[in-house]
Amino acid sequence: MITRCLAAALSAWLISAAPGALGAVAPATAHEREAVPALDFEPPAVGTYTLQRIMAAPDGEVLGLDGRPRRLAAYTHGRITLLGFIYTTCVDPDGCPRAYRVFDAVHETVASAPALRDRVRLVTLSFDPARDTPTTMGHYAGSRARPGAVPWLFLTTRSARELMPLVEGFGQDIRYAVDRSGGAPRRELSHVLKVFLIDRAGYVREIYSSTFLHPRTILNDITTLLLEERAR
Amino acid sequence: MERHRYGRIVVTLAVTLALVALVAAVGSADETCNSPYVTKLIKGQEDYVYVWALGVEGLGDGSDKLVTIDVNPKSKTYGKVLNAVSVGSRGEAHHMGFTDDRRFIWAGGLSEPKIYVFDIGTDPGRPKLVKTIADMAERTGYLGPHTYYAMPGRMLVQALSNTKDKGGRTGMALYNNAGAFIGSYPMPTDGGGDGYGYDLAVNPRKNVLLTSSFTGYDNYMRPLGDLVKDPEAMKHFGNTMVVWDLKAMKTKQVLAVPGAPLEIRWSLAPGHDWAITAAALTSKLWLVKQDKGEWVAKDVATIGDPAKIPLPVDISITRDGKGLWVNTFMDGTTRYFDLSNPEAPKETYHKVTGKQVNMISQSWDGRRVYITSSLLANWDKGGADNEQFLRGFRWDGKELTPAFEVDFTKEQLGRAHHMKLGSKSLRSAPATQ
Repeated sequence: MITRCLAAALSAWLISAAPGALGAVAPATAHEREAVPALDFEPPAVGTYTLQRIMAAPDGEVLGLDGRPRRLAAYTHGRITLLGFIYTTCVDPDGCPRAYRVFDAVHETVASAPALRDRVRLVTLSFDPARDTPTTMGHYAGSRARPGAVPWLFLTTRSARELMPLVEGFGQDIRYAVDRSGGAPRRELSHVLKVFLIDRAGYVREIYSSTFLHPRTILNDITTLLLEERAR
Repeated sequence: MERHRYGRIVVTLAVTLALVALVAAVGSADETCNSPYVTKLIKGQEDYVYVWALGVEGLGDGSDKLVTIDVNPKSKTYGKVLNAVSVGSRGEAHHMGFTDDRRFIWAGGLSEPKIYVFDIGTDPGRPKLVKTIADMAERTGYLGPHTYYAMPGRMLVQALSNTKDKGGRTGMALYNNAGAFIGSYPMPTDGGGDGYGYDLAVNPRKNVLLTSSFTGYDNYMRPLGDLVKDPEAMKHFGNTMVVWDLKAMKTKQVLAVPGAPLEIRWSLAPGHDWAITAAALTSKLWLVKQDKGEWVAKDVATIGDPAKIPLPVDISITRDGKGLWVNTFMDGTTRYFDLSNPEAPKETYHKVTGKQVNMISQSWDGRRVYITSSLLANWDKGGADNEQFLRGFRWDGKELTPAFEVDFTKEQLGRAHHMKLGSKSLRSAPATQ
């Protein structure tokens, strides 16, 4: 009964929130307010599908904004976690800035939903430890890092040595490549835009690429995981 | 060793981050025919063609193998075999696919439920067999893994048959990139579904997974000459395509596409939301598109003379969605269709490129076309017609000009089947698998 009520309430709320509320984002320190592009499909209804257990989220040492080391596992268990890799100097509008906008929209919406706000956290993890020190991440985070009902952690690592097991564990490929398509060789850092949805037990349940990285799909998935928890 | 590895990565990251930082969002496609989740398109000159070859008893070690061939015209070893990795057994090697990060190739055979994982990231010129996944039959009951389709962090594998009756009822198995089984999805047998499978292809923009249908082990492992004389057996071929809700992995629609629809190619051009396929037995091109919110399949062209059963076996779409290569096995002919109007494709060129031809792949710019010869061990022709090769061609928009050839029989490599392109520039940090 509780499950059905919650499903109905959340579905109604999600429908009423979209697309306007879910498409709007709050201003960020490093990014201007910009609407998230609309989905070109109607996502499946909350609770009507299964999110598979893709893999266990990897663990390793990370640094918070205070520079103190902690285990990443502390931020991938106990709440449903939306985790994405970024680097603060990324300027490709379809890359990190886009992920940031989506995170912003999800954060704002979750914070306004009593059924979600105590059950969700967001994690932004840098894969550029050389540049993205805790201080730099603090500037990047701005007001988003302030304590609130919906934690948003901005994390980095001490070194590539500590970063790489996390990157490899998540399958977040970062590659040095040479693009010769334009004639002269051009060096690039490339990574696939991936965002990970992790359940309370620490399992990755969805990996969003650019087309599925949208507040509607993410909020549907978060709610679907909550329904799954209650059905147990 | 570990210190060396991470030291390399540290240097790589430091150097890289000081340079142009460019995020590669998911590309619209790989070299025209791969999963849209596969990254690192080779938009310039490819260095390698990887050929997944069927072992032939008495030829070399007789095992299936991944063969790496140098296809860079500027190389001293252009057109030569660089490397061959044997898997140590013969299992009707057929297709393969890249993982989304393009560091690994998954490949398998139709007569066994094994999947081989080759590392092509550490040294793209020298692939290594790093894992064999052998639990598909136990986990799913499926046999004959065929299509290996990259999804974010995982691989969706379409099988052709099942271990219970070795007929055509089958499904898809989902693994994560490390090779751990995640789940399975049977092909629908209700709502018009025939339960058969063959290829799969995704249109992420529309949240659509499209699948096609072929036949089971009992048919595809049987000599073709015997099979076509058996009317009962010939009834057991797929006649459907299925539209799935990709996100939910649930069937949305079953489309009637008679005659064993095989390879599926979504147009890669922006704004195009249609796919095309070739039905092998009826020699037809079918267009799958949205019409008033529903997906429909339309018979849009004939390939050769269907009465002669040319058997279209592979298709390759150009990156702009305006052209389609079609290989017909029986007459050894490579055909080019103008797809400017996908509702009415027109054949504008054809050339006999072998005594039997099967797979066809093209470079991103469409200027280079690669063709192999083998369809299935028991369906390939006999005697002098049983040519086994990889042939490279140049395409100037008017004529296919031979560029090089590797004779797989002479080189004792086996039957040349599926191809994927590789590049030296895609060398990555050491793999962890």
